[in-house]
Amino acid sequence: MKQDFIKFPLHLIFHPIAAFWDLKSDNRGRLLVAFAALALTIVMMILQKQYAGFLVNYIDPRTINSIIEIATVAVPFFLWCTANWAVTTLMEGEGKFREIVLATGYSLIPVILIYAPMIVISRFMVQEETAFYYLFNSIAFFWFVLLLFIGTMTVHQYTVFKTIVTMVLTLIVMGIIVFLGALVFSMLQQLYEFGYNIYRELIFRT
Amino acid sequence: MARTVKRWLVLLAAVSLLLVNAVPAAASPAPYESYNYNYWKEAVPSPDAYLPERTISGRDLGISEFKDPGDVNVSPSGLIYILDSGNSRVVVLDPGFKLLRVIDGFMMEGSKESFNLPGGLFVDEEERIYVADTGNSRVVVLDGEGMLLHTITKPESDILSTQFQFQPLKLTVDHVGRVYVVAQGVYEGIMQFDESGTFIGYVGTNKVERDYGEYIWRMLSTKAQRAQMVLFVPTEFSNADIDPKGFVYATNIDPGSNEPIKRLNPSGEDVLKRFGYYDVKGDIRFRNNPGPSKLIDVKVLGDGMYSVLDATQNRVFTYDDEGHLLYIYGGKGNQVGTLKTPVAIEQSGEHHLVLDRGKNNLVVYEPTRFGSRVNEAVALHYRGEDTEAVNIWREVLKLNANYDIAYIGIGKSLLMEKKNEEALDYFELGMDRKSYSVAFKRHRREMMKEHFGTFLTVAIALIVILFLTRVAVKWRQRRQVDREAGFH
Repeated sequence: MKQDFIKFPLHLIFHPIAAFWDLKSDNRGRLLVAFAALALTIVMMILQKQYAGFLVNYIDPRTINSIIEIATVAVPFFLWCTANWAVTTLMEGEGKFREIVLATGYSLIPVILIYAPMIVISRFMVQEETAFYYLFNSIAFFWFVLLLFIGTMTVHQYTVFKTIVTMVLTLIVMGIIVFLGALVFSMLQQLYEFGYNIYRELIFRT
Repeated sequence: MARTVKRWLVLLAAVSLLLVNAVPAAASPAPYESYNYNYWKEAVPSPDAYLPERTISGRDLGISEFKDPGDVNVSPSGLIYILDSGNSRVVVLDPGFKLLRVIDGFMMEGSKESFNLPGGLFVDEEERIYVADTGNSRVVVLDGEGMLLHTITKPESDILSTQFQFQPLKLTVDHVGRVYVVAQGVYEGIMQFDESGTFIGYVGTNKVERDYGEYIWRMLSTKAQRAQMVLFVPTEFSNADIDPKGFVYATNIDPGSNEPIKRLNPSGEDVLKRFGYYDVKGDIRFRNNPGPSKLIDVKVLGDGMYSVLDATQNRVFTYDDEGHLLYIYGGKGNQVGTLKTPVAIEQSGEHHLVLDRGKNNLVVYEPTRFGSRVNEAVALHYRGEDTEAVNIWREVLKLNANYDIAYIGIGKSLLMEKKNEEALDYFELGMDRKSYSVAFKRHRREMMKEHFGTFLTVAIALIVILFLTRVAVKWRQRRQVDREAGFH
């Protein structure tokens, strides 16, 4: 229990190359951990906007909206997984959809581990020290990107160059999915309007 | 019985409704809506800082109506000089707005001369009147009675081209008699003349705002196309004023500029402080407005404050010496207090005067309680008397709880008194992160000094306890092992 849910994720973020391989081959990954990481990341994002110290918090408190926070993290997460799965299926990737979700979810762990203490520490910082806050936030981000990179590489058994190409393609596909989604949504809306207008015409003509 | 009570209650409710409605109807006599920008750059309603008191037209003074008046100036002794450009005369009023005299010309070399479409005037401490006589390409200097002292004509200088046309529009004079002239078609800056009228040079050039899109387009164009394009030339200044220390405040009407107001030091560098939340440029957000403010006049009010006049929305913006926007008043319209084509702003005692060319009159604004309190507090802060300013700031906050500068003012005073923790709240309300950081640093150090002993005791105690438990656990384990081995 402790082994799978705490020790392995912590081992993974420090030894990603070996651990991602274990995650894939030994089936060490747990979907619960991946989704917990996603949920905690969202919580950290919300907490940071609400409770980060005044000197680093430039958010207008009237604009904080938890639903939007959830959407801004969860939607790109699933979009990334889907787009990555779609791309790697065509590019001979060995990863299953489950493994992609696992790799992406586990990559988020450093973000949680760094954000949580930084929110607390930022409340005791003065202006000169806020540089550290920004530094650690950037470290969290780059660590996440690095883990995502190694995760993608290991899960699909790619070379470095192919991984970079795949990740860029995934981003493009994410854009395409959003575009298609918007297109379908707008078409459906127009179809509905059309049907509704015909209905109204019929009702008022009689 | 119950019915009568009910009826009375209904009547009472109705009457109270009437009374409630009756009050706000008379609450705002201003014909414009006052607002100010908050930290998030939103225009939020604010109490009126200045209210129109009266207007003064030519008929009110018993002379013919003004015709396209161009400038107004109040001399240090308090006399009000109105330059009535269309009628080529200078109208002089006393501080109570009574007509003193009209100067409609002067004697020069035995013949009577008059002005030709003069654009600006300035009166110095010795009551000398400087008139920018635009149509006659000269600056006329008269004494208080209207007698000619000397004129400044087209300067002779190597740095001026031979076709140079000298058309002075606005001018200002410093306390040693140097004349600063804003002239038409002069991009090099403000022309500076010494007291005898000799051209010294230019001060304070506006920088060319580079538009990179235009730059690339220009590189791709042919020579013939390029010849037809507009030139990148710096914008001209629109007006100038001088503060008691001899710094020239100048405005320009470049619509793309974020620094339309400049405070020029003697070597011509811009030294205006811009420590506010946003640029010192009039309106900063245009949702229903036609665009950025076009600043056409500036007036130094004293104690570091200055007002600028915006010709886009016909409003007056007042700033303190650090670049905080204090209040906004005025607006477009035809009522008393709104403006049609404002051209100049002045200060006479507590009052502000705005000259309206469109309506040919002078509008007198008087400060409200809010406006005068703000002025007082800013002045006290400028002089370094922050402790006195606090009480006034608190009063300002009662009139406008959204007034960020007041929170910062109180916070700074608390900081001086070493009440760091209380100051924190005020700086947070005023969104002043820099001062907050200073206060927090002191507060944190105090806290650490006060609680360091306790902290260390707890820490040492914890370490000892941890160590002891470890020893105990180890000892027990060994005992267990020993027992299993049969030693006990």
